[in-house]
Amino acid sequence: MTETLIISNVILWLLVLVLGALVVALARQIGVLHERIAPAGALMLRGGPKVGEALPEFDLQTLDDQPLHLGGASAKSTLLFFLSPDCPVCKTLLPVLKSSRLSEADWLNIVLASDGDVQQQHRFVLEQELGMFPYLVSTELGMTLQVAKLPYVVLIDDTGVIRGKGLVNSREHLESVFEAKERGVESIQEYLSQQLDEAV
Amino acid sequence: MDGLLLDPLVNLILRWSFILLFGLSALHKLRDFAGFARQLADYRLLPQGLVSPAAAVVVGSELAIACGLLIPATQAAAATIAAMLLAAYALAIGVNLARGRRNIDCGCSGPALRQTLSEGLLVRNGVLIAAALFCAMPTTTRDLGPWDWFMAIAAVLTVALLYTGANTLLANGPLLKSLTPDYD
Repeated sequence: MTETLIISNVILWLLVLVLGALVVALARQIGVLHERIAPAGALMLRGGPKVGEALPEFDLQTLDDQPLHLGGASAKSTLLFFLSPDCPVCKTLLPVLKSSRLSEADWLNIVLASDGDVQQQHRFVLEQELGMFPYLVSTELGMTLQVAKLPYVVLIDDTGVIRGKGLVNSREHLESVFEAKERGVESIQEYLSQQLDEAV
Repeated sequence: MDGLLLDPLVNLILRWSFILLFGLSALHKLRDFAGFARQLADYRLLPQGLVSPAAAVVVGSELAIACGLLIPATQAAAATIAAMLLAAYALAIGVNLARGRRNIDCGCSGPALRQTLSEGLLVRNGVLIAAALFCAMPTTTRDLGPWDWFMAIAAVLTVALLYTGANTLLANGPLLKSLTPDYD
């Protein structure tokens, strides 16, 4: 009898270990699945002026007191990147912005926009070496475009019309906004649903 | 029930689980110390100048706890300090949850798994604190036979697997949430 119990105990422990390993593998797989099916493009949020509408015109001051006009016709398109010193994901995208500033320079100006304590913004610009970007601190701009989540981008073409916008968490998301403009669709979500419609 | 909890085998299992937990977590933090300091800074609990020294203190305490648990003479003290450290983590997480700063990396599971803050972490730390306090209690003495060692190894492995699984699930939670558009 004791022998049976011992054998049963050993077998049960082995089974528990295998089950534990399976649980870990399953949880990990769910994580990987999430990474794969996460929206591959910038996620559009409702609210604010729609893609295709003109951006209301703004006359703003940058952090170094330069005047900056937004909206209406201009020489290049403008990418408004909404960020905050408090937002860790924003920091991870700064190198992407710096490289895009150079690689997309022929058609695109990048403008950073934030909100809140000006002193903190100054420190942030120094720490992250953002001196090359115009940096706006404007509650009005964020309110008008209804930026609820960061990092958020709004792409405005050279005629002052909004061509793309959305929440961007990675380089791919940011590039999808450029791509959406090139292809003339509102967002990757719209592009995917068009593709689905064509397939049906 | 008391007799079971105070059995040296239970103590052995808890002790080795905590040695693994604190040892591995200190190693993760040492390997990417700058990253850990950044995570600590993101908690926004300390002035900028104190972040690096505090990060060093945290890693030092984790190592000290892992070593202390190895030595019979210091294990009760080490387990008590472990409970206090875990309570401090829970407090730091709680403060940031109350501030609504959920979207920062917990810094709990090393660089491989990015884990944002959630109430689940508080529950997890609560369980760990209770386990650490049990581990600090004096045990009855009896000789441990080969079966005890077998059970101890199997149980520590199971605990490690379940802990990893639970952490992965905690990390997956916000990913699922972020798939729902327009959530707040």
